[in-house]
Amino acid sequence: MRPNATAAALACLGIAAAALPLVAGDYFIGVGLSLLMYVALTQSWTVLSGLTGYVSLGHVVFYGLGGYVAALCWGELPLAAIVPLAGLAALALAVLIGLPVLRVRGPYFVILTFGVAELAKHLVIAIEGQLGRFSRVLFAAPGLETLFYILLALAAAATALTAVVRASRFGRGLLALRENEEAAETVGIPTVRFKLLAFGLSALIPGMVGSVMVLRSTYFEPQQLFDPVISFSIVTMAVVGGSDDVKGPLLGAAGFVLLSELLWASAPQIYMILLGLLLVVFVVFMPDGLARRLFPQRHGGPA
Amino acid sequence: MLRKLSIVLAAAALLAGPASAQSVRIGFSLAKTGLFAAAAPSQLNAYELWREQVNAKGGLNVAGTKRRVEFVQYDDQSQPGNAVKIYEKLITDDKVNLLLAPWGTPHHFALAPVLERYKFPMVGNTAASVTLREIKPGYIWFPTSAIPDKMAVEMAALIKASGYNSAAIISNVLPFAKEVKQALVPALQKAGIEVKVNEEYPPDIKDMTALLSKVKAAAPRAVLVLSYPSDSVLYAKQAKELGIAAPFQFVAVGPTIDFYPKAVGAAANGFVTMGHWSPAQARWKRAKPFYDAYVKKFNEKPDYLDTVLAYMSCEILEQAVAKAGLDREKLRQAISTMTFDTINGPVKFQGVQNSITPTAFLQIQGSELQLIWPKSIATSTFKPKTGW
Amino acid sequence: MDTILFGQLSAAALVTGALYALTAVGLNLLYGTMRLLNVAHGDLVMIGAYVAFWAFSLLALSPLVSLLGAAALAALFGAALYYGLLRRMFDGSRAARRLEANSLLLFFGISVIVQNAAALQFSATPRAFQYLDEVYRFGNVAITGNRIAAFAIAVLLCFGILAFLRFHVVGLAIKALIQRRDAAAIVGVNIERVQLLTVCLGFATAAVAGSLVSMTEQISPFMGFPFTIAAFVVIILGGLGNVTGGIAAAFLLGALETFGVALTSSAYRSILIYGVFVLILIVRPQGLLGGRRIAQ
Repeated sequence: MRPNATAAALACLGIAAAALPLVAGDYFIGVGLSLLMYVALTQSWTVLSGLTGYVSLGHVVFYGLGGYVAALCWGELPLAAIVPLAGLAALALAVLIGLPVLRVRGPYFVILTFGVAELAKHLVIAIEGQLGRFSRVLFAAPGLETLFYILLALAAAATALTAVVRASRFGRGLLALRENEEAAETVGIPTVRFKLLAFGLSALIPGMVGSVMVLRSTYFEPQQLFDPVISFSIVTMAVVGGSDDVKGPLLGAAGFVLLSELLWASAPQIYMILLGLLLVVFVVFMPDGLARRLFPQRHGGPA
Repeated sequence: MLRKLSIVLAAAALLAGPASAQSVRIGFSLAKTGLFAAAAPSQLNAYELWREQVNAKGGLNVAGTKRRVEFVQYDDQSQPGNAVKIYEKLITDDKVNLLLAPWGTPHHFALAPVLERYKFPMVGNTAASVTLREIKPGYIWFPTSAIPDKMAVEMAALIKASGYNSAAIISNVLPFAKEVKQALVPALQKAGIEVKVNEEYPPDIKDMTALLSKVKAAAPRAVLVLSYPSDSVLYAKQAKELGIAAPFQFVAVGPTIDFYPKAVGAAANGFVTMGHWSPAQARWKRAKPFYDAYVKKFNEKPDYLDTVLAYMSCEILEQAVAKAGLDREKLRQAISTMTFDTINGPVKFQGVQNSITPTAFLQIQGSELQLIWPKSIATSTFKPKTGW
Repeated sequence: MDTILFGQLSAAALVTGALYALTAVGLNLLYGTMRLLNVAHGDLVMIGAYVAFWAFSLLALSPLVSLLGAAALAALFGAALYYGLLRRMFDGSRAARRLEANSLLLFFGISVIVQNAAALQFSATPRAFQYLDEVYRFGNVAITGNRIAAFAIAVLLCFGILAFLRFHVVGLAIKALIQRRDAAAIVGVNIERVQLLTVCLGFATAAVAGSLVSMTEQISPFMGFPFTIAAFVVIILGGLGNVTGGIAAAFLLGALETFGVALTSSAYRSILIYGVFVLILIVRPQGLLGGRRIAQ
């Protein structure tokens, strides 16, 4: 698909999405929220893991931190302040842990990110415990329409971010270091800085998404907000949809949310089993994802 | 898609048939999987029994008209976050007429804002919280008398009356257990009981050796375990292993469920637990018939705490709907003001709490659960635990 | 810390360590020989636990006997998985190129399938049974018979495997595969066969650990995850592919956990474990006892 066609298609999708709250009831807005959430998360994830090859299995840590910030500040600060604050907190975390964490390579990095996310979860549980709390209820939360539009903006921003980064020199640098990090260093690419930048960028939007979603569920509980299933869902969507360009995450997210909607309430185990099966099948037989299959590159893009 | 089609067809059929053919749809979620899955069947059974009995009488009395009761239920997998999504779905997508509660305090907690957002009243059951007292006007109520602060005071009184002056507390961090602990420490101290150990542990704890070794070393006369079913089982096994010799041992949630003696055997003998009901209490006319009907249908004893509370919440809903119909604001009014006649005697709400039923305790004595406190409703007295 | 407490905690640490060691051994072998990150390892423990539970409840079989059945079942499962899916990870195709990351995702998918299939089949109500739970006292230390049995069998098996790797032809072949894969082929090791055997052995040991654990813990479809985490911490601490290191690390972790929890609070157990996990990966990914760096 040529870039202009892609942009046009995305614009149409965006307009259709914006119209949703006007025509659909609360339940479908809820479905839309889940879809937008995963689009935003997966697109942000690809800025790091798709482009650099450093597969993060703990991305929920940024989402969770954003949500925690929101849960703490709800009632004290207005919504307009909370969402950006959540994003900044996630960015700060990424910058803080980025240097040591990104030194680790390959499969170690993957398990490390998972470990970091779980550690963060248990730290938050312990902090909440010290504050005498197990969970927090958030009363008088903003209405679903408001949250929907914020999330739509975030999903659009994440998609735009992925597209812009890919097309930039920065993006090409990231791809180069994915192929061979040592060689990239030799050629003069500032790998450490680039990795850190990608890490930070991939954290910003998930933080904001977390703040929105915690207000949507009006209930904050660390186990649920830092749930590793979210990290794995992101990776699964990227694997199935493909992580090389903006279309992949959209496909992956849409597919899974659809599947989820059909099954999560009535047959949650079957839904999870299907998720697992899809992951297994795609990892073994189609590791580059669906988008590559459905929209093959014409001039042989990045490997 | 298919469901929407069937709703259209059903609507068409309804327009043709008599009004009383339209059923009342009651929605809820229960933990069929996950951490609380052992406890949830106690509650589901109560709901099922109630529905069966109501439909056998011709249906639920909705302000004069009788309509069949139908359930719309989902599995929340013991996750309060899922319960939130499910109840939203029940209200906005399935469009149920009434709601019944899920299992457990964390779930009730999570639902409070949702009920407020959609202005949908729900009678809680297997939960209690001091924090939710603050919420006004409130769309949720707790019929239980096992409220954390009252329980703490009564517990201290019971321990003192039994002649013990030292205690150890180990507590799960889930909201209900935490609230009890927070109230318990000052209550014990006020009653002159020394708190020798005061520890917490995570809900998914696998090994209590370190914790219980501390307790054993302190040699308290009372051990108060504020636990949920899984850790209650763990406690029984490991306390037996270590040979904790305290004559007063309280295990919060678990001992009233049928699976508990099967899982831990004779170790559970003498455990004191929460509960405010007994079929042997003759003053409550509905108690024994309920017990008999339950045993007949399910071939096991009801959970003296959760099953009873779940059934009570159904009775309350039934009586409120008979008076106020299905209008949500009228229903909320009715629930907040009426006095209800339940299997646990009369129930009336003051704010979110039940102002009539006293806070009480049960004890496993042999193969029976006996009400041992307070004297006003007791069926037996406290007997010290004499070994494992 | 007084001696009563110390003695009791040491006993607990030893039992925990032994079970961690047994669980981790299989994971280590799988990674060492084939660079497979089996995040479904804990679910094999779960399978073993269920086998023991049903054997005990329906057939009145002791878990110490039914563990053979559990091992066989797990080995079969491993073989099926190997022929069906795992072989493709080595055939030079696109999937093989990012082996470890892909194996992690692959096994995660398998883990999700196994857990939820178990939940569908057995319902998630936690199960438990009582076996060998008379308490024995050694001085100030009290311990139930089942924990003693679990400890004994776990230790026996671990040393058995160590001996196997050292003295038996096939064991040596496995070691060869761990150390130099390409050289092993040249020396005549039948890589296919050895890999298959390793998978079966790795899966079987996890299931046996499950049978042992079932005597003391509650059994539920989602019980496996903490074991997976513990196993990963152990093999990373001991050095990926280093079986002896793994066993030592397991006891170290057992001690750390038991005494750490006693000194701080049970609430901090997870922070302790994940903290160690993250620290080791950042500071010394080859583990405390691992010597060589695994080439990427």
